[in-house]
Amino acid sequence: MLFSEKDAKALTDKILSYVTASDAIASVGSDKLSHLRFANNNFLTSGTRTARTANVTVWIDSKRGSASTNDTDDESLKAMVAQAEKIARTAPIDREYVPTLGKQTYKPVNGYVEATANLSLTDRARSISEILGECEKNKVIGAGFHSARSQAGGSATKNGNFDYDRSTNVSLSVTTRTPEGTSSGYFLRSHYDIGKLDTKRIARESIRKTIEGANARTIEPGTYTVILEPQAVADLLGNFSFTFNARNAEEGRSVYSAPGGKTRVGEKIFDNKFTIYSDPWNAEVPGSQSANGGIPADRLVLVRNGVLENLVYNRFWAKQKGKEPTPGPVNTIMEPNGPATSLEEMIKSTDRGILVSRFWYIRGTDPRTASSTGLTRDGVWFVENGKIAYPLKNFRFNQSVTQMLGPGNVLMIGKPERVGGSEGGGATASLLPALKLKAFNFTSQSEAV
Amino acid sequence: MSFSRRDFIKTAAIALGATSLPSWVYDAHATTGAYLDVNKNNLADAALATAKKLGATYADIRINRYRLEAVNTRERQVLNVSSGQNFGFGVRVLVKGTWGFAASPIVTADEVQRVTAEAVEIAKANSAFQRKRIELVPTPKVVTSWKSSFQKDPFDVPAEDKVAALLRINEAALAVKGVNFVNSSMAWVNEQKFLATSDGSRIEQYIIRGNPSFTVTAVDRSSGDFQSVNTLREGQAIGYEYMSNHDWAGEATTAAEHAVMKLKAKAVAPGKYDLVLHPSHLFLTIHESVGHPTELDRALLWEANYAGTSFLTPEKTGKLQFGSKIVNFVADRTQPLGLASVAYDDEAVPGQQWHLVKDGTFVDWQTTRDTAKLVGRDKSYGCLHADSWGSVPFPRMPNVSLEPAKENVSQDDLIAGVDNGILIYGRGSYSIDQQRYNFQFGGQTFWEIRNGKVGGMLRDVAYQSRTTDFWGACDALGGRSTYEVPGSFNDGKGEPGQSNAVSHGCPSARFRQINVLNTASSPNAGQMEDH
Repeated sequence: MLFSEKDAKALTDKILSYVTASDAIASVGSDKLSHLRFANNNFLTSGTRTARTANVTVWIDSKRGSASTNDTDDESLKAMVAQAEKIARTAPIDREYVPTLGKQTYKPVNGYVEATANLSLTDRARSISEILGECEKNKVIGAGFHSARSQAGGSATKNGNFDYDRSTNVSLSVTTRTPEGTSSGYFLRSHYDIGKLDTKRIARESIRKTIEGANARTIEPGTYTVILEPQAVADLLGNFSFTFNARNAEEGRSVYSAPGGKTRVGEKIFDNKFTIYSDPWNAEVPGSQSANGGIPADRLVLVRNGVLENLVYNRFWAKQKGKEPTPGPVNTIMEPNGPATSLEEMIKSTDRGILVSRFWYIRGTDPRTASSTGLTRDGVWFVENGKIAYPLKNFRFNQSVTQMLGPGNVLMIGKPERVGGSEGGGATASLLPALKLKAFNFTSQSEAV
Repeated sequence: MSFSRRDFIKTAAIALGATSLPSWVYDAHATTGAYLDVNKNNLADAALATAKKLGATYADIRINRYRLEAVNTRERQVLNVSSGQNFGFGVRVLVKGTWGFAASPIVTADEVQRVTAEAVEIAKANSAFQRKRIELVPTPKVVTSWKSSFQKDPFDVPAEDKVAALLRINEAALAVKGVNFVNSSMAWVNEQKFLATSDGSRIEQYIIRGNPSFTVTAVDRSSGDFQSVNTLREGQAIGYEYMSNHDWAGEATTAAEHAVMKLKAKAVAPGKYDLVLHPSHLFLTIHESVGHPTELDRALLWEANYAGTSFLTPEKTGKLQFGSKIVNFVADRTQPLGLASVAYDDEAVPGQQWHLVKDGTFVDWQTTRDTAKLVGRDKSYGCLHADSWGSVPFPRMPNVSLEPAKENVSQDDLIAGVDNGILIYGRGSYSIDQQRYNFQFGGQTFWEIRNGKVGGMLRDVAYQSRTTDFWGACDALGGRSTYEVPGSFNDGKGEPGQSNAVSHGCPSARFRQINVLNTASSPNAGQMEDH
């Protein structure tokens, strides 16, 4: 059972009543996860899990200690507080201590739908069975994962703040393969409202990619114009908002660092065709009502017209630097500054390029240039003379994100849609468009399907 | 015989006297709340009886408690000291050949019955549409308890001692001129696992793991350049003695000197090089290129939607040339210090040791009771694992280790045979495709090898290769004296995602003519040959 606002308030108040330390923050969380995994055109594992946590962080004379438990009876909560205070008494001074927040006023976010939290087991089983039926009909082998999660929790400070949030998320991903293992497709979408999750589209797109991806050819790796579908953009940029750390930049260890302890805020680092921002009240990708240690979240522009507009200051670093803490990010939204271009138009305007469905296993290689490596997966096509010419085998890439989004390299931008990074399985979602980029670096080939 | 923790404490205290009790009994004494009030046997009886009554042909219940202590510092300050515990149970049922699972943190008789019925309900809802029934190979009934090997329980060590140990590491690093930042941390995990199966097994296990770590960063503010070096040590199944049996502060000094040196190091010229790989680096290459492709669930397409499948398939068993003749990989759930070592897996199959690659040939798989049946095996190798009471147990990697040379070969001996090569230490950036063919690995420090001798430091090194080409290019292995057991504390797989800890023992090893790229230079510097 999820904590109601009343439950969360009562529990956090109870935890704080046990605290003898001069300052404290207590938080409680609850969640319910219901999942179904299928593979080889068969149901594999399926289950449900309820969980709850309680945490407390205390400061005694600016010395900090934390403890957690998942028992919420009085005795366990008292023991948790005692443990945190025991740690704090022997800890060194917390030099980054900033007093906990007093009462804040939040503007609520609506990302919770009851039907998602209480989905019907039979409806889900039937829906997945229909997907398996489509796979069988199309002579492909289907695997996938359906997951519905609801979360609710609250936190309270000794200085009088209370913050309660709840949310739901349902995601479905489907991978299909030819029986010979010569082609594969993938599609993932999520929503907080189960009524808006188009399960048929997800299966259809995955199967289409597998069928159209058969007989893939090999071309030399190198630098190509690319068209990235929203999924591929999400795999690269799904958490992009969360990379604009002011402290790292000012400490000289970020792509946004400038020599002499300065930052690149105000510099035109990116192409001027898009804006990147965070917005807690976006109807498609609602964020949380609080950000950065509990301050009320607000709309935050990070990149506008190619200029790095903001870096993100937490409460401690903001105090050090005489700035206000940043009211975000809570999500990642990338929008074109002008009219959006459809995927079809992007293809039509391309003489020679590569269309990428998805990236996989992306890992940073050089933080100085925000470079990473990874591979294409589940659908790559060669585009020639304005048309999809033929499917390609997979590539490894080595690419700097800032170069990729740099001035002049972004040719076209699609209409943003809700999509989550595939390595996170759709647990979080961003609002991201398809992109056509002038140059993208593929460095080797992979025969993986 | 099985027992509840409280019963055991009473019995043991009378029979042995308090001074003879292991430290985990003291810990249980100190625990408050629901944990001590639980009679696991009675709850297991209720779950298994309910599951049977409702139509399950197999059922198991895991009643587990997890403790975690973590300390994080940077420079001369402590970021956090935290301590947590998590207790709950999960019930798994097989109904009409379909799995169902449910879990709860409320460990009471009523909740166990409710959750067991929910697991059956889920299985039944799905079984109506199931295409092919899941079947299990048998495993013998066992009733036992086991504790992992450690000398000093980290949960008995005061937080201030842990903080002091990390701040000593930081001081050592900051004493090196040119070093600007150091982060250090330690995490200690204790799993207290109880398993009861409808086959009659009842198993209690108590496991300790530790993962100290640090990163040193040097910044050249005039040029805007910065370089970091991490510890070369990894997590192990070990107690707090890990903090005294390794010279952490000494290693931090060396890492700091290397971070400063890296700012001025020579950029690697892309091309083909012979590589000598130290165990602190090689273990992760083994993990990605050997550990994952030999997971049978991947070959059976069970992981197709997430981590991926495998270039290995059942018909290649015993036939495929995986590497050179000197390459032998052993899967081992019993390896000392191994993060994946257990006495029994999460479906009561004993920990075992077996070859995955023998004399260069791929010979066997990592199996569980439900995957073994599908390749005609009559027993499991015991690779089922869940990372929590709330997670569905599924196939996870045992320790997968590279056997050292039988002869006494040193790392210097390997280097002596290289005219133009690179010596690599530590785990860096790593990426591999979903069938485990094509990979790219970086490291922490890189050293030029010229004419059989180690020269200056290099930077921006990564190598790309193809699994069977790479292991085929392995022409020499270090002996037992070069062997270490590094491991990964967090290996992700599965849906919902789970994290596993696993080790990969290995000696230093030499690989001929591997493609090296410069990660900081022009984008196409690392082009590989077409395969």
